[in-house]
Amino acid sequence: MATEHADDELAKLERLSEVYAPSGDFERESSARDTGPYYAAAEEVLPELEPEDPRVSGAKASAEGKAFPVDRRDFMRLFSMGAVVGATACVRRPPETVLPYVTQPIDMVPGVATYYASTCGLCSAGCGIMVKTREGRPVKLEGIADHPINQGGLCGLGQASIQGLYHPERLKSPLLKQEWTYTPVSWERVYKVMAERLKNKKRVAIFTGGATGHRHGFFRDVLRAMGSSEELLYTWEPNGLHQAMAKAHHVAFGEARIPRIEFQEVQYVLGIASDIHEQGISPVYHAKGMSQGLSYQNGKMGTFVQLESNMTLSGAAAHERLVIAPGSEALAALLLVEILYDHPLAKGSNEERRLIKEVLHEHRKEIAGGWDALGISQKQLSAVADALVAKPSLVLAGGSSAFTAEATKLQLLTVCANILVGAYGKTLILHQGWHTNPVVSGDVQRFIADAASLDAVIIIDSDPLFTLPAALHIKELFQKIPLVVSLQAFPVSSDEVAHLLLPAHHYLESWGDEQAVAGLWSMRQPVVRPTTESRQSEDVLLWVLAHLGKNLPYADYLAYLKERWQDLNRVMAPLVGFDTFFQAVQRKGFITQFSSQVVGELRPLATHLRGELFAPKKDALYVVSPLDHRLHDGRGAHLPVLQECPDGLTTATWDSWAAMNPHTMTRLALKRNQVVQIKTPAGEISLVLYPMPGVHPQLLVVPRGNGSQDKRNTIARGVGVNPLALYAGEFEPESGQPITAATEISLTGTSTMYRLATLQKHNDINSRGEIIKNYSLAEMQTREHMTKDLDTVPDLFPTLAGAEHRWGMSIDLNKCNGCGACIVACSLENNVPQVGREQIILGREMQWIRLDRYFAADVDHPRVTFQPLLCQHCNHAPCEPVCPVFATTHDPEGINAMTYNRCVGTRYCANACPYKVRRFNWWTHAWGKMGERPQDRNPRALNPDVTVRTRGVMEKCNFCVGRLREAKHTAKIAGRKLHDGEVQVACQQTCPSEAIVFGNLNDKFSRVTKQRSNGRAYLLLGGDPEHGHYGLKTLPNVNYLAQVSHQARDEANHHQPAASGHGEQSEHA
Amino acid sequence: MKGSISGINEQILIGTGTKPEKTYYIALAIAVFCLLIGAVAWAIEIIYGMGVTGLNSPVYWGVLITNFVFWVGIGHAGTLISAILFLFRAKWRNSINRSAEAMTVFAVITAGLFPLIHVGRVWLAAYWMMPFPNTNNLWVNFRSPLIWDVFAISTYLTVSLLFWYMGLVPDIAAMRDRVTGFKRLLFGFMSFGWRGTLREWHHYEVGYGFLAALATPLVLSVHSIVSWDFAMSMQPGWHTTIFPPYFVAGAILSGCAMVYSLVLPLRHMFRLEEIIKAEHLEALIKLTLLTSTIVAYAYGVEFFVAWYSGNEFEWAIFQKRATGPYCFYFWVMVFCNCLFPLAFWSKRVRYNQTICFIICLLVNVGMWFERYNIIVSSLVEDFLPSNWGHYEPRLIEIALTVGSFGWFFTWLLIFCRFFPLVSMSEVKLIMPKPLRGDGASAAQKH
Repeated sequence: MATEHADDELAKLERLSEVYAPSGDFERESSARDTGPYYAAAEEVLPELEPEDPRVSGAKASAEGKAFPVDRRDFMRLFSMGAVVGATACVRRPPETVLPYVTQPIDMVPGVATYYASTCGLCSAGCGIMVKTREGRPVKLEGIADHPINQGGLCGLGQASIQGLYHPERLKSPLLKQEWTYTPVSWERVYKVMAERLKNKKRVAIFTGGATGHRHGFFRDVLRAMGSSEELLYTWEPNGLHQAMAKAHHVAFGEARIPRIEFQEVQYVLGIASDIHEQGISPVYHAKGMSQGLSYQNGKMGTFVQLESNMTLSGAAAHERLVIAPGSEALAALLLVEILYDHPLAKGSNEERRLIKEVLHEHRKEIAGGWDALGISQKQLSAVADALVAKPSLVLAGGSSAFTAEATKLQLLTVCANILVGAYGKTLILHQGWHTNPVVSGDVQRFIADAASLDAVIIIDSDPLFTLPAALHIKELFQKIPLVVSLQAFPVSSDEVAHLLLPAHHYLESWGDEQAVAGLWSMRQPVVRPTTESRQSEDVLLWVLAHLGKNLPYADYLAYLKERWQDLNRVMAPLVGFDTFFQAVQRKGFITQFSSQVVGELRPLATHLRGELFAPKKDALYVVSPLDHRLHDGRGAHLPVLQECPDGLTTATWDSWAAMNPHTMTRLALKRNQVVQIKTPAGEISLVLYPMPGVHPQLLVVPRGNGSQDKRNTIARGVGVNPLALYAGEFEPESGQPITAATEISLTGTSTMYRLATLQKHNDINSRGEIIKNYSLAEMQTREHMTKDLDTVPDLFPTLAGAEHRWGMSIDLNKCNGCGACIVACSLENNVPQVGREQIILGREMQWIRLDRYFAADVDHPRVTFQPLLCQHCNHAPCEPVCPVFATTHDPEGINAMTYNRCVGTRYCANACPYKVRRFNWWTHAWGKMGERPQDRNPRALNPDVTVRTRGVMEKCNFCVGRLREAKHTAKIAGRKLHDGEVQVACQQTCPSEAIVFGNLNDKFSRVTKQRSNGRAYLLLGGDPEHGHYGLKTLPNVNYLAQVSHQARDEANHHQPAASGHGEQSEHA
Repeated sequence: MKGSISGINEQILIGTGTKPEKTYYIALAIAVFCLLIGAVAWAIEIIYGMGVTGLNSPVYWGVLITNFVFWVGIGHAGTLISAILFLFRAKWRNSINRSAEAMTVFAVITAGLFPLIHVGRVWLAAYWMMPFPNTNNLWVNFRSPLIWDVFAISTYLTVSLLFWYMGLVPDIAAMRDRVTGFKRLLFGFMSFGWRGTLREWHHYEVGYGFLAALATPLVLSVHSIVSWDFAMSMQPGWHTTIFPPYFVAGAILSGCAMVYSLVLPLRHMFRLEEIIKAEHLEALIKLTLLTSTIVAYAYGVEFFVAWYSGNEFEWAIFQKRATGPYCFYFWVMVFCNCLFPLAFWSKRVRYNQTICFIICLLVNVGMWFERYNIIVSSLVEDFLPSNWGHYEPRLIEIALTVGSFGWFFTWLLIFCRFFPLVSMSEVKLIMPKPLRGDGASAAQKH
């Protein structure tokens, strides 16, 4: 019966798609092949979805009823698009008039979410995402649980991209520059203008960002079809690590591959200024790997040692961190290779050793005199070397905080080190499943050389003006090009040189694919009807070609992709027909087939390592500008949820800062929050100082990402400073990436003071050792087998022992690396408003989960601990008895619940809460007019499952009670009990390092119960139950797992005032 | 007829019937202006939200709750003077008990505003805090100290009002007898047709005594309950058993000081020097001195217990109070409440009304800062250092504080204008038996 009905519906769909041919003038003028259905108009296939009220409709001119012949491919295209996506996804609910469906679309139940698999498009890591859509609107992005790269996790940037989809400052229509102003024009006009101006032009270029799928190939095809050359495709990514690593392996083994780490095998990792937890190659993949492979489990723990001059999240996560001089990373690698070479346990064939010997010979001078410049002792590095050769290990080097002129040399020396420790083929995999390089190295240099000769350039999803050093005069280069077209999903700074500004689809509206790891193909599919008058970039190029009369044989980019995927079909699943194959991949999001390929022998390296290695001067100050771990190069700067997500180490929001060693600040008589002027020969900037323990005394760290001056971007405009003004625009010779580190500066303090909006106002733990518990590995080996019972305490109150569920959470302090993905996930899941810089300075942030960061030990060599803190859901909640109106109560499943309607806002609960995790709505946060104030957000991006709160009401973490309820309903309908792990809360779901476990504490076999009874478990402010001290006796349902360190530590004594600046003083002094 | 029993009426009612001094009108104008400032500030707060205040996380309570506790404290001396001292038959109270009671009533009304001003949704708080039967079967949380507050304050207000009004009845009757027309009708109604018969006086005395006995425990209970707002939470610096007696002593200290600083100018405005004698004021100063020493002792014990308990969180708060960024408020509190009143040991100082007036004003400042200190310096730095924050009152909170003084003084001044500031009947009670002939010289000794 039901299937019959569905069949009818399908038949109807098919008929409809015949009747509703694509509309719009330009499509009709194009060739017959080009009249394929265009995704922008869902009403074309399902006219009943178009609201009757023209004010709320998509204002699409209705088709004239022109029939067109449907061939098999068109049918399949319609079928997959219309049925799989369109039928469910392409509804815009009228904001005012609510009308029921006359005919309910199949596959769509209002109030029930539909999930689509796609691929994140924010960076080249290629994480698979599961897009939750409600009534056709994507509301949340989550990692695909079995995607090989992110395994369910997703970084903050990826999750926040949903705010970019609904961003009201996206272009509403194409803009054409006439004289000095931009006028909105129709797409038809755009194609005509472009066709006119590109006619007979030979030197047409495309300047685009990184991509690992078929996109660049398509661009090359387009350029060729235009009569231009495929040489004129320029690709640019500010994350230079890919290029440096690929280049180094190309030099060493003849293959431009980036090795994959085999985390199951690794026991010891040495990072040399590695930013593996921040941007790295694939932050989520590596965070998962480090967490699974190296963190404490069953009495065993791997080791991660980091040598760095900047303080990074990776350095904070490291078990041991050694501070080296700025810019001396290559030197460190060289000295390491030297020690390893002479080590009796060193590996490597005779030929390899000979080639390495050549390298060492080349640098004998530095080897002899380098120790002084490096800043750490030979003994320290030898100890590391001993461990490296003794255990399955690897050396991991480079990152955006070490992108000096020697970035590729550093990689080459690392290759040598990895050969000597026997990493290749064991812990580093080059022959199979390696990471791919999303760009072609050296393209920017090529572009600078070619720019004068170009007739036209089309900038696609890239912002060269903002992300390249100003000293390169990129702006002037673009200005000389007769036609510059900017095709962007969100307006960027580079638009100012463009003659045509075109709104491109957001990646959630686009087709595409990625191959971030060789053999792993991820599919990107549109999950929403376009929210503005945008077009898919690739389709725009196809239409332009059509107008030029130089058609490619594809109706649209999807057709192109399908053709490419047919090749994959033949290789990966030859037994399955293409349509089945394609649909299956659409559903799953990815497909893998790893094949083994031979890796070449080591080639001579010495020629690539010529020249003396950089050794920093003893009295100079240097600057480094790493990519911000939240905002990347600035591509996340227009997303309020990311601006408000705190930087892991400074906890700063909505700003840029210059981090400096506190001792250096004292020496130079500089204060916290003082604005300093930083000068280099290339330029100067003024920026506020932040005292950061652990930074090398000669280093100033100014993160990239902020500093946009674009007037159209009201979120990012005026926030922070772009440090790229400081760099001379020199390129690292091998990888062709601009240098953004170890540049000498002069620094002068100004009399201006400026408050940095940090979430944590006080950084010192004040010797309160019980907040962060710590055991040594040896201690843990005895504690491992002991079982704890944190819940049996002398108590007069009834417990929840008999309930079916008692929800609990366990947070592993050993795993958390402070990336902030949980904060973003929570904010998006629970409609937490962003409040802006001023309110954060006042202490009125609204985030339900926060990351407490404590420094310990001395200022130059601090240890850093991150502690995610959310509502602890105390069984004896201090907040509950004090509420006069029962607005906060305990629910029968152990959740400390909030009844917003009942709350009158006495705020007594917040005073009573010893964890201060409650958040008060000081204002009614505006949801409807994003852009006017930085904290405002588009209501369409709200999660309809969670209510928004008004002013005067207290709120806080509720263990994602909506998600729990949904899962329980599902289980109830299926007539079964909930399985452990079936329901995940938002922060846990996304955590890239799997630090959070959630589940039922009344289930003896659940993971969370096991962790809670582990010897490491403790309750925050819960005293020492082993000795009968129960602390505050709040009995939280959240427990922490103590940190484990390799050496024994006396926490209480070691938590000296290491904090920023002058310990005891809080920021307000 | 100075000094005679009938002369009492003349002297006391001179202010109520005739025009008071010019200073009265200046004072009233200032009070009303301040009241308007406060009204505007509250309107702004209701329209825009609590964000207009300087409150934040972790300091969710600040100046507004300080004001609440301060005004409740002020309200204490009234009942103490009228009820407890009445029961002890302390005769010096009779000249000032009326003004003290009036102060109590208006101070409690002022205090009662602040919980409303400080909640996020005042439009709901006003009735959701009241236990009333409803179809949702929703009740208030009887475990919450805030609900205890609601009961304590409303009970105290009711009893104080009754007590105050009861004392007014014979005086209103006396006023009735001096006027004609509508006023006579009104005063007659307000005095319940009081005729001053022996029977009426008998019932009146018995009833007054009972009310005094009823009000006495309230003096102790109200501020104890207010102190539980703090003591019942886990916040270090708040969670301590010494709070109830400590708060009561502080309340009486601030109340006595406030009575002194109010009575002195009123005595001048309404020319009551003959009735409110220097000895009466001196007795009030002695009571101030006594409570000041109790408060000083409480401060000391609090510190001692914080150290002796071995609770690192508690001890950290106390160290920070005396030395941290908020130490200014702490030392203001210590100097004003403990050290300056030490001057009162000297009899010469006790009779020097200018010095006493200044010290009493300082005690009021000190008591305000005591509450500010308890609330803010405890909240800024609790268990987890990452919670720690900072608080500074903003303009709206200052305006609301100014407004509360305006509100209080407006009521008080209006009251003084229309009702006898000193209880005529009670002053008459303690007068020596009238002598035949010229009794003035005998009466003047009192």
